[in-house]
Amino acid sequence: MAHFDTEYQRLEASYSDSPPGEENLLVHVPEGSKSQWHHIENLDLFFQRVYNLHQKNGFTCMLLGEIFELVQLVFVVAFTVFLANCVDYDILFANKFVNHTDSSKVTLPDAFLPVDVCSARIRDNVFVIFIMVISGVFWLHRLIKFIYNVCCYWEIRSFYINALKMSMADLPYFTWQEVQARIIEIQKEHQICIHKKELTELDIYHRILRFKNYMVAMVNKSLLPIRFRLPFLGDSVFYTRGLKYNFELIFFWGPGSLFENEWSLKSEYKRGGNRLELADRLSSRILWIGIANLLLCPVILIWQILYAFFSYTEVIKREPGSLGARCWSLYGRCYLRHFNELDHELMSRLSKGYKASSKYMNCFMSPLLTVVAKNVAFFAGSILAVLIALTIYDEDVLAVEHVLSSITLLGVGITICRSFIPDKHMVFCPEQLLKVILAHIHYMPDHWQGNAHRYETRDEFAQLFQYKAVFILEELLSPVITPFILIFCLRRKSLEIIDFFRNFTVEVVGVGDTCSFAQMDVRQHGHPAWMSAGKTEASIYQQAEDGKTELSLMHFAITNPQWQPPRESTHFISQLKEKVHREATGGQPGNAPENHAFTSTHSLQSESEPRSLIANLLVGPPSLASLHLGREGSIINHLSIGVSEGASALRSLSPLSTSIHMRGSFPSSRLPRPDHPAVAAGRAMAGSGTDARTISSGSSAWEGQLTSMVLSEYASTEMSIHALYMHEMHKQQSRGELSRHTWHRQESDESSESVHDDVEAIRNLPRSNTFPFATTPNQEGAALQSSSQRRYGGTTDSLCGGPRFQRTARMPMGGWSEESQTGRHHEPVPEEGAEDELPPHIHKVT
Amino acid sequence: MNCRSEVLEVSLEGRQVDEALLSLLHTILLHRSTGKFHYKKEGTYSIGTVGTQDTDCDFIDFTFVRVSSDELDRVIRKAVTEFKDALGNSGSDGMGQISLEFYQKKKSRWPFSDECIPWEVWTIKVNVVNLANEQERQICREKVGEKLGEKVINIVEVINRHEYLPKMPTQSEVDNVFDTSLKDVQPYLYKITYQITDSLGTSVSTTMRRLIKDTLAL
Repeated sequence: MAHFDTEYQRLEASYSDSPPGEENLLVHVPEGSKSQWHHIENLDLFFQRVYNLHQKNGFTCMLLGEIFELVQLVFVVAFTVFLANCVDYDILFANKFVNHTDSSKVTLPDAFLPVDVCSARIRDNVFVIFIMVISGVFWLHRLIKFIYNVCCYWEIRSFYINALKMSMADLPYFTWQEVQARIIEIQKEHQICIHKKELTELDIYHRILRFKNYMVAMVNKSLLPIRFRLPFLGDSVFYTRGLKYNFELIFFWGPGSLFENEWSLKSEYKRGGNRLELADRLSSRILWIGIANLLLCPVILIWQILYAFFSYTEVIKREPGSLGARCWSLYGRCYLRHFNELDHELMSRLSKGYKASSKYMNCFMSPLLTVVAKNVAFFAGSILAVLIALTIYDEDVLAVEHVLSSITLLGVGITICRSFIPDKHMVFCPEQLLKVILAHIHYMPDHWQGNAHRYETRDEFAQLFQYKAVFILEELLSPVITPFILIFCLRRKSLEIIDFFRNFTVEVVGVGDTCSFAQMDVRQHGHPAWMSAGKTEASIYQQAEDGKTELSLMHFAITNPQWQPPRESTHFISQLKEKVHREATGGQPGNAPENHAFTSTHSLQSESEPRSLIANLLVGPPSLASLHLGREGSIINHLSIGVSEGASALRSLSPLSTSIHMRGSFPSSRLPRPDHPAVAAGRAMAGSGTDARTISSGSSAWEGQLTSMVLSEYASTEMSIHALYMHEMHKQQSRGELSRHTWHRQESDESSESVHDDVEAIRNLPRSNTFPFATTPNQEGAALQSSSQRRYGGTTDSLCGGPRFQRTARMPMGGWSEESQTGRHHEPVPEEGAEDELPPHIHKVT
Repeated sequence: MNCRSEVLEVSLEGRQVDEALLSLLHTILLHRSTGKFHYKKEGTYSIGTVGTQDTDCDFIDFTFVRVSSDELDRVIRKAVTEFKDALGNSGSDGMGQISLEFYQKKKSRWPFSDECIPWEVWTIKVNVVNLANEQERQICREKVGEKLGEKVINIVEVINRHEYLPKMPTQSEVDNVFDTSLKDVQPYLYKITYQITDSLGTSVSTTMRRLIKDTLAL
């Protein structure tokens, strides 16, 4: 009905300027075009691009980097072809004489062949043309990709500038957490995602890491055929980029893959009905892809060689030692990755572990090789010395043919030999090194602990941390091996893969289908041996191995303090943190005075540098503490000491984070300004930094500050300690299970009674003692005393070892954490010197 | 996908298909249409009126309300008839789905064509049953009527939720949000597609597009 102007016409009598019927209609104001960022079609891709642009430090950097890459590619190919075909080497090596009319000097242009000869040579050489065609295709592909990317990222750039209000120049100074916080913020007004009013951190992570989470889960459940038992090499891992690409092609995006699009699994794979048929289909698809791989093998091989050449020659030229250096293998990255861990988070923690890891690997020197290397170095060194001495005496020696080259070769030989000779001053302490490594990499098979000195452990660690040369070699071999792995190994697993995707895919509203492991739900996927006993309902099939669910949950909660986990997870986290607190209040056993001095020095250190703190703590005290215990002749429980160490490390870390907290809460004036600084500082020591952070994150006034760089640094430290703690607990628990009956006996017959009494006695002591402290404004003495008391209280705890955790849960220790919580509420103006340095940081990022 | 999707399922007799589908599609479109916009100078606009009209079904005990726009009705009828024919020709067990997708266009820069981004998809799954005698038909006639009534209430509930709708556009952008081709009514941009028996797998063209897109992506 054409613009129904209603029958109720205006009276013609009322003469007005406007056309009839208009002013009694409602007048609306359009709201469109205010933001172009509402309702983005492909949020997965969008968030990925936002993340990439952030990681590449802004648009200009990215653009320049890509342009240079393209130019570099052309240059390398052109130059290689030129060197191979257009240079007359006879002239260069002076085997051929050039007659010049004017001068006798040979110039570089003399060595070049004339253009027509050169092009004729190139035209005749089929192989060169083949390579040029392939690299030409490669280059064109890169060019198109580049242009496409520029268009896409231009949009993301304007998103950053207009919606997130971050200029490109400032982008490198924002952490990802801050960018993310802003995205969450603008969702409220722009509605990027239309399903929900509000986005959570987890949603964004899920979208960016959807497929990576699947891969991590599949590696975790050893579903992918990447471990092989080879006749001579033993247990080995083969996982290359080519293989990874193929896996992703098959599962996620290739033609006929399991996923319908980026965000949803095809519906037939969600139903269990025809799994056999689907498995058949998958296996035939894998077969076809394998065959395609086999057919394309020569092309891929050349591509791979070119690629390796382009990407590594420059590196090798720059630092030749880099081939002997190690890097984290692709498998290692997959194995060590938490669920929902972004690339930069993974890389930063692996890089932190790099030094310790290479140190650990270098611990293992073959004595045989050392002897040989020493002698070779000796002979080569003496020849070299003579040659050099002669050269110094008269430099004409250099002009003798091959003297210069032999000097160079001998030099290189000696360098290689030297790398096999261990450093004289190096100390072999693998167990501690491995612990430091664990603090960063967070995952480790159970059987490594206590076996750090064995070659088996080293070899297994080498699977995660391989030589760069090996990495490149594997990459080069990959095109040949990949098809066989696909055809013979992966195909057999097709039914398991179908089952995996069916069982472990959940549909999350507003996110789509994600891997259920990535939900980090302790109840569904927890492993009873990893502190989620009693909470988990997972069958063995559903459990994530190596405590991945638990550690990932901790990691995610720590890196994203604003995130509100579901109830069970919150429970798990708070319980774990409470345990750590209790340990912290427990502290180190027996040797109170020394340890006290020790921790206090450390808490001083911690203010300046959190990372060295853990390093010290890990390397330092274990030997000390266990020694003491051994001497006392009590039940030696090295493990529990490890635990309390981790905890005390956390505690010594905490003054610092609390001080941040206090500084932060200062402007918000949420908390009353208290007047008894030292006591509360002591309190703060009891409460861990974690809690301070979580509590403080409640006040939104300075959320931005919290997510600053400063805090993210401490977060990683905190996570390291939690990881260590959880591993210790796990070890304890698994040992406890092994020797459960012995535990019972020990407890029942001798020590338990007396220990109990002790515990009670000591419990009462500090409790009554600290209350006065809370009111006395008296300074350090009191605080120190109280902390030493607490530690003393903990002594007996760690003496009774494993079951202690169950027991302490019922003990008045709970009162301690309560106390520390109340303590936190009247947080004082802190006195430590550290805060004087902190404010500028915070100001910078706001 | 960043889009809501609602699924309705009906099972009915062959001759009821078009009326049932018309009733559902029209109900949805009734709530997703506005009057024509009349823009004025200073960036404001007024909205024309929309008439409604009741339609009785012949083969179902059901009456539904639709926008009284014959043009719109023609377009929908055409789509439904096509679907019904395809369903009849398929010869299989008479399963099919028709979906009504609301989308908005986004202007892109030159090398790319405009993107159509769906924000709501209604999928109606149809299951055709064969009935033996007249009595059963009679029962079916009533039953389907009741069912459709439930569905309509269902639709209204969904539409009543306070959820994302495209923002009201300015004059220059009105074509990106609304279908302005009709003279008397202005529904949100929509698209009707159908599929006979849920044929598995994505079509070849989408796979190719994805393949290219993925190789291009970082």
